[in-house]
Amino acid sequence: MKKVVFILLVLFFAWGTIASAPVFGQDKIKLGFIADMPGIGATFYKSQKEAIEMFIEETNAKGGILGKKLELVIRDSQLKPDVGSNVARELILNEKCDFLIGPTSSAVALAVTKVAQEFKKIIFFHTSNTEKLTTTDFHPYMFQVVPNTGIEGGGIALYLSKKPYKRYTFIGPDYAYGQTQWASFKEDLKRLKPDVEILDAVWVKVGETNYSSYIPTLMARNPEVIYSSLWGGGLSSFIKQALPYGLFKKATITSLFDLDMLRATGMDMPEGLLGYARCPFYAINTPEMKAFTKRFYDKYKEWPSDWAIMVYDGLLVLQEAIKKTQSLDSEKIAKALDGLKWNSLRGPRYIRAEDHMANVGIYVGITTKDPRFKDFLIMKNVEEVPAEKVWMSVEELKKVRQQAK
Amino acid sequence: MEINFLLFQLLNGLTEGMILFIVASGLSLVFGVLRVINFAHGSLYMIGAYLAFSLSTRFPQFTLGPYLLLMILVPAGIAAIGLLLEVTLFRRIYGKEHLLQLLLTYALVLVLDDLVRLVWGGDIRNVPRPPSLAGSVEFLSLSFPTYNIFILLLGPAIALGLWWLLYRTHAGNLIRAAVTYPEMLGALGTNVTWVMTGTFVLGCVLAGIGGVLMSALANIDLGIAMEKIIDCFAVVVIGGLGSVWGVLLSSLIIGVGKSYLSLILVRLAMVFPFFVMALVLVIRPWGLFGKPER
Amino acid sequence: MSEPRFSRKTMAGSAVIVAALVILPYILMTLGKRGEYWIWVITEMVIMALFAISLNLILGFGGMVSFGHSAFYGTGAYTVALLIKKAGFPFFLALAAAPLLAGAAAAIIGWFCVRRIGLYFAILTLAFSQLLYMIAFQWYTFTGGDDGIHGIHRPDFFGPVHYYLFCLAILIASLLVMRMITRSAFGLAIRTIRENSERAKFIGIHVQRYQLLNFIIAGAFAGISGGLITELNRFAQTDFLHWTKSSEPIFASLVGGMYSLIGPVIGSTILMFLKIVLQQIHQSLVEIWALFLGLILLLVVLFAPEGITGLYQKFVRKT
Repeated sequence: MKKVVFILLVLFFAWGTIASAPVFGQDKIKLGFIADMPGIGATFYKSQKEAIEMFIEETNAKGGILGKKLELVIRDSQLKPDVGSNVARELILNEKCDFLIGPTSSAVALAVTKVAQEFKKIIFFHTSNTEKLTTTDFHPYMFQVVPNTGIEGGGIALYLSKKPYKRYTFIGPDYAYGQTQWASFKEDLKRLKPDVEILDAVWVKVGETNYSSYIPTLMARNPEVIYSSLWGGGLSSFIKQALPYGLFKKATITSLFDLDMLRATGMDMPEGLLGYARCPFYAINTPEMKAFTKRFYDKYKEWPSDWAIMVYDGLLVLQEAIKKTQSLDSEKIAKALDGLKWNSLRGPRYIRAEDHMANVGIYVGITTKDPRFKDFLIMKNVEEVPAEKVWMSVEELKKVRQQAK
Repeated sequence: MEINFLLFQLLNGLTEGMILFIVASGLSLVFGVLRVINFAHGSLYMIGAYLAFSLSTRFPQFTLGPYLLLMILVPAGIAAIGLLLEVTLFRRIYGKEHLLQLLLTYALVLVLDDLVRLVWGGDIRNVPRPPSLAGSVEFLSLSFPTYNIFILLLGPAIALGLWWLLYRTHAGNLIRAAVTYPEMLGALGTNVTWVMTGTFVLGCVLAGIGGVLMSALANIDLGIAMEKIIDCFAVVVIGGLGSVWGVLLSSLIIGVGKSYLSLILVRLAMVFPFFVMALVLVIRPWGLFGKPER
Repeated sequence: MSEPRFSRKTMAGSAVIVAALVILPYILMTLGKRGEYWIWVITEMVIMALFAISLNLILGFGGMVSFGHSAFYGTGAYTVALLIKKAGFPFFLALAAAPLLAGAAAAIIGWFCVRRIGLYFAILTLAFSQLLYMIAFQWYTFTGGDDGIHGIHRPDFFGPVHYYLFCLAILIASLLVMRMITRSAFGLAIRTIRENSERAKFIGIHVQRYQLLNFIIAGAFAGISGGLITELNRFAQTDFLHWTKSSEPIFASLVGGMYSLIGPVIGSTILMFLKIVLQQIHQSLVEIWALFLGLILLLVVLFAPEGITGLYQKFVRKT
């Protein structure tokens, strides 16, 4: 009998704890940020958080949106999809967030977008860029402001097809992300420039830190361009390790040269490499970008990464949509997102109605030293490959969605 | 495939194998004497690597001198941590069920790995190679990094040093006796506690050395602890616990095997250690050099 | 674990608890949106409790440490996911297949692992479960790799409350089945092996065969829990196979008490609850959750290896 009473007391206590947790007033707009904090997510998280907080501070100083102040609630999805879907649910049901900000990891994003769909909450993706989010897993309550894998792969393929390079190979981790990137890149490139020679790819172990076996293999293929789905710290390690082998004397490596990676590689980064970035502050010369960069640097004493800029941009879209509909209602906002135009930090942009993908392209350039930046290289001769040239057409979109059913 | 290319990959594999040997031998020794499989051995290796990183940033000029200094400081640091752990935790569980011992060291892995994350963050780090070791050597028309050669020379040196320690010194005799005749040792009046603590510290020193070597070979991140301990386990299962030569041979087998397989199909390379483990289990369950069931 | 049969007191006590658990979701419904979240949480708690007791069959009962139990949880999860999404199976059929495939996986992996005892066994279970993880991770055309398999259909009659009750029913049924197993001749043999495997051999018990069978049963139950979680989350992901997933039932069993049947249930529930509450108290506490958990585990192993139920037995049930 004592056992039973004991357990019932525990249950009652638990219920009490749950029921008594504070509920916030409804005169605020709550933003729920599902953040991948640990491990490789840490650097992303830091700059994303900084950008979001800066936006909230600036907006609240002007009186908020629709007269309501913004508030941020953060939960750690730990790069794990099941944790992500759990916290997404918690943010929606428990914290009663009005809008959700998506995670870094594409795997988590896929889980979280479903939760947003289930509860009809508006969510946007600023870093995770799997194409599935806007194609097979699309729903009207989401939007994406980072160029997706299709735009990225297609963009660089289009750019390269105009160059004289003939021999292409690939190095990347052996899993879905790498495989799909190489597959779509090969396809696009072959279509645009039939006379290219596609050499065998070199697949590395996922999470590999030691590339010494792969580098000679790569060199044996004698390529002119090495396309790589390595990014961030992995790409940085690879480049540093490849230098003593003399890999870059003969070939250029093209991959995602985002700011964090450039900073990590520092002055070890060779000049003259052809790469691309999703949102490089130093190459986009709109007045909005310049102003934003200055404010960011003044506040945080560091330059804004691609992710910081894009999450800020996403918040600008959200703000625009709320202003347009004069409400926080998900249905109205979802409708307003169709074709919504806004003044992005990247220039005037719009959200395509069929997949809520912003027409944001990728930026391709050549690495170079720059006197303004003492610790890392940037890219010069940067060209933007516009999204409209490379994203999936509406017919293709319909076909892919049809096939998934 | 040309012969010089194959030779090249062989050297690469041996380099990896050497580091694995250094770390795994520590694990094997600790088990042989203390009869405890220290899960946290991989974490100690990782701490060594991160420690090397932190210390390396203190030097304005990171040349060979500071690097060698690191080789002394880091293992000493890991030894100190190991000493602390041995005295406070491991001593309490020597007599207990294997079950609890395993769970304890497993819990330790969690605590240590998370502490590393809190202290050093999630970014990938590495230690720059000292300029004298950073170049490459022309070898059969391929550039072979000097640092790898350094490791290839250091590995056997350590193996020899270990052998000398175990078979030619009084301390070594005690350790080997503790492995084979623990009761006798106590009866002879030796302070068994010191032997055990000493062995544990030695194991930690080896983990620390491995960590320093790796920190400049490739990059380090929070995943290297688990990766290493699993490989160490494979080595120990294949080679047999308590045998230095067994550990050396199986480390090299795994290192070279992975290297060659990554040329053909990297998926096979990942699976290779498990495959060999499974094979050994079926044919000779106590390992290539081990003794039947302890 | 040595009570002869269901005593009147135990039956009455259990009945009250079960009744309370059944009423719980209806109480939570009164709390609106917040309540809906918590219904989802308790469903997950029930499923993870099942996962924990399945492991404890090997750990506390069998006396063997398995670090690779997530392999069977994940196999069950992917079985349900693939059968529903790719083969169009109805839910119940897919769920029925989960323990079968998980059990098969346990048979294969277990065969290798039981060939060695104690420490080696633990190492091998870890290694093989990682192998399975790597295979699933890379075989993305089949498993969706890192992306996982999403958009699994849930039958309409399974509203949140009904699904919870369904899982609860399965948990209770599983507990009863396990109780039966632990008390049977088979259970006796396993216990004998745990106490002294040498002696067991002398009596003529084929140690490895029994251990393997125990391993398979445990794997099958883990498969059920994996299948249930897939249906709850509506997706299956490679993380389900990762070694860190294996650690959850280990902690649950240890903290709750691995020498009792109910221990893992209590441990699993408390740890999950603690994590959620911590998250709400302060964001930064979540960042040190692994550290926190590791420390708890250290303390438990050193000072209270029988877990909560063990302590309860010592202090409350003074015999």
